[in-house]
Amino acid sequence: MQLDFKARELTIKLVYYGPALSGKTTNLQSIHQLVAGDVAGRLMTLETKDDRTLFFDLLPLTLSSEKGLQVRVKLFTVPGQVIHNATRRLVLQGADGVAFIADSQRSETKSNASSFVNLRQNLAENGIDPAAMPLVIQFNKRDLPEIRTDAEIDALAARGKEPVFKASAIRGVGVLETLLGLMENTWRHLEATHQLEEKFGVRTEPLLAEMRTHLGVKTDPAPEARR
Amino acid sequence: MSEAPDLMHADVSRLEDIVDKSALAEVCRSFFELFSIPIRVFSRDGALLADAHETRAICTYVNTLSGGRLACSALVGEVKNLDPEGTVEHPCFTGAIYRVVPIQYQGRRLGRFVVGPYFPAELRRVPGSLLVIDDGIDGEKARRALGEMPRVREETAKRLSDHLTRILDLIIFSGHRSFLTSEMHVASVRESFRALAEKNAALQEAYDKLRELDRLKSNFLATVSHELRTPLTSIIGYSDMLATGIAGELNEEQAEFVDTIRGKGDHLLALISSLLDLGKLEQGKLSLSLVHIDVPALIEEVAKTLAPAAAKREVQIRTSVDGSLPIVKADPVRLRQVLFNLTENAVKFSPRLGTVTLSVRGTEVDADGEGDGMGLVLLAAPKNALELSVSDQGPGIAAEEHAKIFDAFYQVDGSSTREHGGTGLGLSIVKRLVDAHGGSVWVESEVGKGTTFRFTILEADED
Ligand SMILES: Nc1nc2c(ncn2[C@@H]2O[C@H](COP(=O)(O)OP(=O)(O)OP(=O)(O)O)[C@@H](O)[C@H]2O)c(=O)[nH]1
Ligand SMILES: [Mg+2]
Repeated sequence: MQLDFKARELTIKLVYYGPALSGKTTNLQSIHQLVAGDVAGRLMTLETKDDRTLFFDLLPLTLSSEKGLQVRVKLFTVPGQVIHNATRRLVLQGADGVAFIADSQRSETKSNASSFVNLRQNLAENGIDPAAMPLVIQFNKRDLPEIRTDAEIDALAARGKEPVFKASAIRGVGVLETLLGLMENTWRHLEATHQLEEKFGVRTEPLLAEMRTHLGVKTDPAPEARR
Repeated sequence: MSEAPDLMHADVSRLEDIVDKSALAEVCRSFFELFSIPIRVFSRDGALLADAHETRAICTYVNTLSGGRLACSALVGEVKNLDPEGTVEHPCFTGAIYRVVPIQYQGRRLGRFVVGPYFPAELRRVPGSLLVIDDGIDGEKARRALGEMPRVREETAKRLSDHLTRILDLIIFSGHRSFLTSEMHVASVRESFRALAEKNAALQEAYDKLRELDRLKSNFLATVSHELRTPLTSIIGYSDMLATGIAGELNEEQAEFVDTIRGKGDHLLALISSLLDLGKLEQGKLSLSLVHIDVPALIEEVAKTLAPAAAKREVQIRTSVDGSLPIVKADPVRLRQVLFNLTENAVKFSPRLGTVTLSVRGTEVDADGEGDGMGLVLLAAPKNALELSVSDQGPGIAAEEHAKIFDAFYQVDGSSTREHGGTGLGLSIVKRLVDAHGGSVWVESEVGKGTTFRFTILEADED
């Protein structure tokens, strides 16, 4: 997080992590399409090869809140391919929250798990306690056959720690809920560690409500998203 | 050049860092050629980044007058220092206008551009502010000079600057992208190199430590086995000889004493061997050589090896293989040791005419990752595993003992050691060996109902 008291400006970095081809870039593309133009800036794609991310994608969001605080949210994707680990670790630096995009297909179960282990390793290598990182998990590609069932995911999600969302990024389903869930988690964490309310006079609940409106998410997003 | 934090947030703090100056200059020039309106682009701290203008007749004229010169330079200074949040139209005393438009990028103000001076089309007369600027001003000359100034309607000026805003945004965006791309190229290479160098150093250190440890361990093992085992073997050997009567016939009491010495000696030797094993395991220095295992053959072999000992106690050993089994990789020597320990125990605690059963079956376990619940939904995929079990019909173990029996030197009750022999190390060795294979071991038992030890080994990855 970056704080600029003079400019009343706060920059938050959110990183979309996950195995290759799980739909991280697609999430950003969907958000870019779904969110109003005065909130979302241009989607920047840095170097791709055959549609695979090599460095990162970047989608900036700007939300101005009550009390004139400018909240800049930067959404990054990492390259999912195993070989780009150095880049992944680099992009992960300074992240305030992570959305882990998993591929729902049964066949991808193992690569989801090893990408998650890789996330923990890279966080640790960057000097971050993985347990302290705000995190949400998205099971993407719910539109495909041969996926892990709702019941299976729900049962595990109930035992796990972090909010779990289901999405079909390519259809724009569940992506805003995921983003908002991550924003909430991240904001609460930042509030707890940096006392933003005290410093800026910005109260958490109204701000989150405002973000919900800005992002066009109408309902209160319960962590069990639509199919 | 920008520092790491800018790369971390992919932020732009200075326009001049990222913008392609020649592209910017070209855009400004063609804008000027099209509309004859001057344009200048400033960074946030006031540096002039692009400039396309020609000096206006009115400006030239005004600057020939001393009062005009003063007023003009004051005004130009004012305009240069404007850093507005939104567009402002700043009037000149000549009636012309400077339109100052902030340049926003990713929610941040990076600079501004200034369009003008131009003359508002709506304005018809020479303004009074121009005529009082200097006593020597010639109204007619001023009017003529003003006439050469481009006339722009306010709405047109707004459209032009909106258009320019969009073009500048594109130039900044693509400048930013190529800036980030080249920074990332460098940073990625540097990061890969750093990671490699670190890994190398860690490997070297680990290697050095291992060699030192290895040396110490060999020393220790050699010492222990020499200093303890050698005298012990002599004790056992001499009591053996005594027992055979080499040194003269023994009376009954003497024979019994010698027998006890011999028995305790054997026990001590077993204890020392187990301790050496445990020591190795404790240091975590146990290296497993994992290979595919034919498990049914292995349990068969263990059952056969222990059959004579079991027969002595009139205990029968049975084996059972349930259905098809997942393929596992394990260290054959260690896996055999685990089964052997458990089976030997089971035989020891079996009642006369009892049965010990070794079985194996396929099962599924939840691999819960590192167990702190983080990412469980991703990590806790059910995995195929092999479950091996050893059951006896012995006295059983009370529930409150179940967790403790895998501790080193723990005995269910002190008496059973003496009664049944054994070092109290067997189960802790079993647990460490199973752990080393990434599996888990537990006991199912009730007092009076026999005991079953079970352990699992995860299916081998395909690769
Ligand atoms: N059916 C289906 N396909 C999807 C969905 N989301 C993404 N995809 C497809 O999955 C493929 C990979 O998507 P990307 O977004 O490029 O994946 P990525 O995670 O950015 O991959 P890397 O950049 O290599 O790490 C593309 O062909 C997408 O169209 C989804 O919800 N449903
Ligand atoms: Mg991608």
